[in-house]
Amino acid sequence: MANIKRFTTVQRLSHFVLILTFMLLSVTGLAWMYIETGWGQGLANLFGGYIAVLEVHRITGLILLIGFALHIGYMLYNINWHGLPKSILGPDSLVFQKKDWLDFVQHLRWIVGLSKEPRFERWSWWEKFDYWAVWWGLLIVGVTGLMLYNPVLSSDYMPGWLLNIAVWVHRIEALLAMAHIFTIHFFVEHFRPRCFPFSATMFEGSKDIEHLRQEHPAWVERMEREGHLADVLVPPVPVPLRILHFVTGYALIALGVFLLVYAIINVTYLTLAF
Amino acid sequence: MHLRRNSRYLLTLLLCLGILMPAAVSAADEEHPYEAASSGYFRDQDILPGGYSLYRQDEAGRLWGGPSGGDIKRASFQADAHEGLDGYGRRSCVSCHETERYSLHTSRGNTSCVQCHRDKPIAGLYQYYSPMNPIRRHAYICAKCHEGSTASFATYVVHEPRPLKRDTAESFPLFYYAVWFMVILAVGVFAVFLPYVTLWGVRELIEMRSKGGGHNG
Repeated sequence: MANIKRFTTVQRLSHFVLILTFMLLSVTGLAWMYIETGWGQGLANLFGGYIAVLEVHRITGLILLIGFALHIGYMLYNINWHGLPKSILGPDSLVFQKKDWLDFVQHLRWIVGLSKEPRFERWSWWEKFDYWAVWWGLLIVGVTGLMLYNPVLSSDYMPGWLLNIAVWVHRIEALLAMAHIFTIHFFVEHFRPRCFPFSATMFEGSKDIEHLRQEHPAWVERMEREGHLADVLVPPVPVPLRILHFVTGYALIALGVFLLVYAIINVTYLTLAF
Repeated sequence: MHLRRNSRYLLTLLLCLGILMPAAVSAADEEHPYEAASSGYFRDQDILPGGYSLYRQDEAGRLWGGPSGGDIKRASFQADAHEGLDGYGRRSCVSCHETERYSLHTSRGNTSCVQCHRDKPIAGLYQYYSPMNPIRRHAYICAKCHEGSTASFATYVVHEPRPLKRDTAESFPLFYYAVWFMVILAVGVFAVFLPYVTLWGVRELIEMRSKGGGHNG
């Protein structure tokens, strides 16, 4: 059985760097937030204690922001500027379009049994949502993170009381992002019955054609109709590599679930007052 | 004429005294230890009580939704903020200042009250020579740990109000609305997606049961 190529090497690498920085930021950020608890101190000790964990958090945040800037450059480079606005409103684009809203409504109706399943093109509405959610999240945690990076310096350019706001906004957005990735994203991509136990598309770069006929039928049909399906067919990934992806993926999922569960268990020991 | 001249001298004398008296009372008897310790950088403000420009900055901040000092108590202007308090010496700070017990400084930095509210007697926040006075707070208090601290930096609210409490809408509006916005965003995302993906999973399970199989990873 053949696979259809879905992501380029650069895209897979970007996602992997995003995973690593996100996880490192989650661990160090939660260590910082939970430093009053034994759990938080344990996490911090992995990095050499309270001061060191802050430094790792800051530097990792900068690396993620640099990655984000590179991604923006990559995106701008890949836009077909001569074909605007059509080039970013086509079926291969991640830009939200009217069809996505209609798909969302139909998807909801399908879930409750009122309609047939929507026939997704290359990107389903939730894949687009996940992509842009990283933008919205990164803009919020990035701006507030930079404000908090060196509070004395940043208060030269703004009143210091904005840092009170930055701390809370940073914290809530980070918790939202972590909780979303460790529940919704993991469930939709790996744990829902069609994908269980693990969907490796973002690691392998390709997916078997039968699965894509079910999940993205309009995309596969378009490529067949236009006659370039053969161009995107690639052989399945060798088994050892698939095992590596599976083990890596599950280690990361386990880490995410561990952070989520322990953060919830320990939340009552925090002295943060809402 | 003679009398008039005399009364003129008297008036001039009284006027001079009137001008000089307040300054003489505050500065003449002895040099205040905080003034002695001053770098001199704040000398303009140290000797001109009219120069409380930071209070005016507070007002400007309030226009943008910044924190307001709230009602400033009279004790905040005393040299000894706890003067005349019964049993003061035997109490801990938080036995009265319960709401100030927690802040990021105490919970994360393990800072104790007197590391910032330093020296005895503890002066009121707005007492003219208090190290906590906003005209020198950044230099006398914050800079002990935060090197290079500025007056702007010192407007960070260490004992911040509870962001979701109704009162905070008045005492620190931007804080209140920003945090509420983020909470609604976060809760909204989960209120929509948790039931959504749960039903979605159930739907796919039913579909696979009826078809007797599906596609794996």
